[in-house]
Amino acid sequence: MSIRVSGLSKAYGSHSVLDGLDLEVERQSFTVMCGPTGSGKSVLLRLLVGLETPDAGTISLNDVDITGYSAAQRSVGYVPQSFALYPHLTVRANIGYPLKLAGRPSREIAKRVDWAAGVLDINHLLDKKPAQLSGGEKQRTAVARGLLKDADIFLLDDPLVGLDYKLRERLMDELKSIQQDLKATFFYATSDSLEALTMAEKILVLDGGAVVQKGDVVDVYRHPTHRRSMELLGFPRANILPVERRGAEVSAGPFKLDGAPDGAALAGLRPEAFSLGDKDGVKTRATIQLIEDLGGEQVIYAEADGHPLTWAVATHGLRIVEEGEAVELAVDPDAFVFFDGRNGARLNNPAAAPSAEAAP
Amino acid sequence: MISDRIKNGAYYTLLWAVSLLFFTPVAWIIMSSFKTREEILATPPTVIFTPTLDNYVELFTENQNFVQQLINSVVMSLSAVVIAVLVSFLAAFCFSRFKPKGTNFLMFILLSIRMLPGPAVILPVFLMFANFGWKDRHLPLVLFYAMFSIPFSVWILKGFLDGVSVRFDETGRANGASWFHIIFRVVLPQVKPGLIAAFIFNLIFVWNEFLFNFVIGGVQTQNIPYALAVGTYSDGGLNWTFIAALTSVYILPPMAFIYLFQKYLLAGMTFGTVRGEV
Repeated sequence: MSIRVSGLSKAYGSHSVLDGLDLEVERQSFTVMCGPTGSGKSVLLRLLVGLETPDAGTISLNDVDITGYSAAQRSVGYVPQSFALYPHLTVRANIGYPLKLAGRPSREIAKRVDWAAGVLDINHLLDKKPAQLSGGEKQRTAVARGLLKDADIFLLDDPLVGLDYKLRERLMDELKSIQQDLKATFFYATSDSLEALTMAEKILVLDGGAVVQKGDVVDVYRHPTHRRSMELLGFPRANILPVERRGAEVSAGPFKLDGAPDGAALAGLRPEAFSLGDKDGVKTRATIQLIEDLGGEQVIYAEADGHPLTWAVATHGLRIVEEGEAVELAVDPDAFVFFDGRNGARLNNPAAAPSAEAAP
Repeated sequence: MISDRIKNGAYYTLLWAVSLLFFTPVAWIIMSSFKTREEILATPPTVIFTPTLDNYVELFTENQNFVQQLINSVVMSLSAVVIAVLVSFLAAFCFSRFKPKGTNFLMFILLSIRMLPGPAVILPVFLMFANFGWKDRHLPLVLFYAMFSIPFSVWILKGFLDGVSVRFDETGRANGASWFHIIFRVVLPQVKPGLIAAFIFNLIFVWNEFLFNFVIGGVQTQNIPYALAVGTYSDGGLNWTFIAALTSVYILPPMAFIYLFQKYLLAGMTFGTVRGEV
C-alpha cells in the first residue's frame, strides 16, 4: 500500500475532525477523496504531509511507519489548497523550489521547470512575480510546484477549485496523464463530483471524519451505500428527499410510496430518474421553475409540494417542458435509495443499482 | 474645476509654509556652520555671506576628541541596532508562529520596559555597570543599547510577521526546508520593510542617546550628543561655530537614512498592521 492510515484522530480543542480514521491508498493509483466541506479532507492531507501532528493513530507511507517523522523527512509532493507562492521569487523560482531545496543541479531544475510550466501552460509567465498573476495563473503555478518534487506520492488538496471550466477540464486530463507518466500515487481531495468521476480510479467518500464508502469510482456511483456517496457523485447532484411517515402512509418528498425500510429518513433520487407523467410509477405534480440547456441535455429545476427537484434529461435540443409549466413527473419506485437517518447508511437493496445507469 | 485647483493650490501652499517653518532652525544651523562667529551673531542676521569651511576644518583637526566621538557614534549605533534587529526578529518569529502561553502578557511586559523613562533606571544601571567594571567599555554599552532597542523592534516585527501567512512556512516544510531556511530565506525577505523600519527607529534612538552615554560611558565611549553637550560652552560663552558645524555633521546621517527609507518609516509607525504598497 502506498498510504495506510489506521486509527487516525485529530481534534482542535473540543472539535474532533478525524476520529479513528482508517484508509488505504493503493500504489500508483489515482485515488480521489470526496467529501463535503468540513469532512476533514484537508486535515487528513496536512497530517499526511506532516504539517499537523495526529492525536492518535499511525500513518504509513510505502509500508514505512512515518507517524513520528517531520515534514522534511517524508517524501511527498503536496499541492496545498492555498497557493502560498513566495512573493519575492519569480514564477520560475517558485516552481523550481522543491528541487532547489533538494539541492538539484540548476540545469536539471531549469529543464524540469520548463516541463512543468509547459504542462500547465504557464511558460509565458515564468519571469513574472506572483503579484502580477491572476488567480488561475497562481493556482497553476502552485500545481506545477507541487508536481516538481522527487516523490512517488503526491497529495493534492482541491487544486482545481475555482478555475474556469475549459481549463479545469484540460488540467484534469493532464493530471491524469502526469500520474501515469510518473507512475506515482496521486491522492486527490475534492468536493467536485465532475473531478472525482473524471479522474478517479479509486474513490474514498469521507464524511464526519470517517470513510463511509470506498471502491472503484463506477461502482460507488452506481451503488452508493451512503447518502454522501450519492450526494457527492453525479452531476447534477442527486435529489435527497426527506422520508415522512403518517400512520400507514409513507412519503419521500412529494412522492407517496407504498413503503420504506424501517429507520429510513432520507431518500435519494438521481436526476435522471424522472420522466413525464405518461409513464408508470409514483407521480407528483410539479412546477417547472428554471431550465438550463446544456445542449444535448437539459437540467430542469422544478418544485413539487415545497420540495425542489432536479431533473436531468437528454432532449437533443428539443424543449419538452416550458418554464412555469405544471407537469406530472413519474418515478420508478425502484429508483428510490433509502438512507438511515442516524448514520446515513443505505437501507434498501444495496446490491441493486439505482435506475440511472450511465455516468456522465 | 477651477475651485478645486484653487483648493489644491492653497493646500500645498500651506503644507510648504509649515514645512519650511519647521525646517528653518535646521537651515539656520547648517547655514551658520559656513559662517564666521561674527556673522552668526550679527544683528540683523546675514543672509548673504561668503561661505567658509573653517569651522569644519577646526572641528576635525583641532578638536582632538571629535573624530573618536564620531567613530564611537557610528560604530555603537550600527552594531547595537544590528544586534537588536536580529534578536528581535527571532523573538518576534517565535511569538508570531509558536504563540507560547502568555504571549500577549510577555509582549506587554516588553513594551512596558521601553515605556520606562531613562532616569528611572539610571541609578541601578550605573551601579551594575560600575560593579561589573563595564563602565567606559564599548561592548557593554552596545549591548545595553541593543537591550533598550529590542522591545520596540519586537513589536514592529511581530506585526509584520503576523502578516506573513503560515502557509508560506508550510510550503517550505512540506518541501523539506529546515527552520533556518524558513526563517531566513522564506519569511525574512517578506518582512524587509519591517526590518528596515525597526532598524531606522532604533538607529535614531541610539544615535541621539545622551543620558546613558554620559553616566555609564566614559572617555573611550563618548558619542556626538555627549560632545555637543560638553563642548557647547567654551571661552566664556556659547561656542556657536562649534555647535553649528558639529550639529550639521550630526544630523546628516539620520536625515539621509530617513530620506532614503521614508516609506518604510510610515509602515513601521503602524506596527506593520496597515500594509501599504512598500
